[in-house]
Amino acid sequence: MTRRPVIRNTAAIVGIGQTAYAKALEPTAWELAVDAILSACADAGVDVADVDGMCRFTAPFETVSEAMLVRALGIRELAFFAQAPHGGEALGAVVAHAAAAVSAGLANIVVVYRALSQSKGGRFGRADRGGPGGAAAEGAGDIVVPEQDNLSFAWPYGLMSPGQLFALWARRYAAVHHLTEEELTRTLGTIAITQRQYANNNPAAMMRDRKLDWETYAGARMISEPLRLFDLCLENDGACAFVVTSAEVARTLRGDPVYVLAATQTLAPYREPMGIYVPGELLELFPSAAADRLFEQAGVTRKDIDVAEFYDATSYMPLRSLESYGFAADGQGWRYVLEQGTGPDSPLPVNTHGGHLSEAYLHGMNGIVEAVRQLRGTASNQVAGAAVALVGAPAGSATILAR
Amino acid sequence: MAIVPGMTKLTAPYWDAARDGRLVVQECRSCGRLTHPPLPACPDCHSTELGWREVSGHGTVYTYTVVRHPTHFAFADRVPYVIALVELAEGPRLISGITGIAPDEVRVGMPVRVVFREVADGVTLPYFEPAP
Repeated sequence: MTRRPVIRNTAAIVGIGQTAYAKALEPTAWELAVDAILSACADAGVDVADVDGMCRFTAPFETVSEAMLVRALGIRELAFFAQAPHGGEALGAVVAHAAAAVSAGLANIVVVYRALSQSKGGRFGRADRGGPGGAAAEGAGDIVVPEQDNLSFAWPYGLMSPGQLFALWARRYAAVHHLTEEELTRTLGTIAITQRQYANNNPAAMMRDRKLDWETYAGARMISEPLRLFDLCLENDGACAFVVTSAEVARTLRGDPVYVLAATQTLAPYREPMGIYVPGELLELFPSAAADRLFEQAGVTRKDIDVAEFYDATSYMPLRSLESYGFAADGQGWRYVLEQGTGPDSPLPVNTHGGHLSEAYLHGMNGIVEAVRQLRGTASNQVAGAAVALVGAPAGSATILAR
Repeated sequence: MAIVPGMTKLTAPYWDAARDGRLVVQECRSCGRLTHPPLPACPDCHSTELGWREVSGHGTVYTYTVVRHPTHFAFADRVPYVIALVELAEGPRLISGITGIAPDEVRVGMPVRVVFREVADGVTLPYFEPAP
């Protein structure tokens, strides 16, 4: 059955905003969120008081609530607000919720935001006192992991962070596709170094002034084999936001609205992000039907995508996303990366802002902001003539945007 | 100090069995499906007649990682350590650790067998070691 596309071209992103990104910023997450939202509204040409919808990630990922923002921003009333679970996997979900809300007439001006203050607690690379939902105080005897989402079967073995989980995926990938250690290192390193080169040309990127060469990449310490230091994302403070409205309203606000062609969610048994108990082959975390649905709803093909921003908590994720979104054949993504690359002159530039590895970690949301810049023609690493962009997470939450 | 599993009505039988030196997996009494971690109903036949089956304890390393940088202070003096996804001979996969071998020598596909390690008073975790 073909579904009638519900979003295609009926909603648009009309404003983007972001704060500085840094390892530690003085403002709180609340202050950062306010800053980013005001910037996004100014960019859109809307009065923040007129915002009547908000979409965000669930806690503990997002700590700044709609209520806090409505108060701080003097918003009269929200008529629609929604939250999406699963951290970075919510990047397509929040766009879907916002676009669906404006398409259905539930709200007129919807703000989507993400604010992080990892320096003040909540480091995703820590599972103890510093991490979100981190376990127990130091020196207090045994730590009991509450049974939730099967964590009680993982944490006692020291499997406690996304980086460790994606190391399991990367190792499996190398084994299934018969990569040598050298090939695996070259593949992951090509992604990390390419993204760093993009960041070196992006004034907003945390790694703007830090070059990364092969020697430094390969010589960096192993964190969780086969992932080295530079295969893992940054931890930082910062916020970004964007404004979604109907296509009709968008055209009255700016000459360059970025249309939402599709935004999709997917959830199948054990295929939630980091679903280590995926039935069948572990690498097939992302149900391929969900990728087909994304393109079908968008009304475009893989060939139409000019630039992709793939969620990259680790360098493995863009590699596998090239395959699961259908830009490289299953098991051939590594050859594709080694032969074609993901740089400015490759068939599909990927993570042109530097991604989470080298711009900043904003849970996929800075990828959406970058896609908007690409489609407006204002990106630091502008892909010439970029007209259609895909932003996607490794377990299938994604959006396709177009100018 | 150890990190120990919190137990619910659903998961306690798994850990109780481990304390007795047995590796068990949830089994649907109606259709025989094995499920790990346990679920409140059988996803195949929707039966709630669920029990536990003792398995052989033999399996293979499906994938693994050698952790060299701890992300929790409880593991600060344990690095390097190996986290593995072990595929049991009976089918289900479970997260465990690999012991009895140098971390650098672990390989995907390696045959392993269960061993039980008491990590805290009254708490035993199934681990795996290379099978002869």
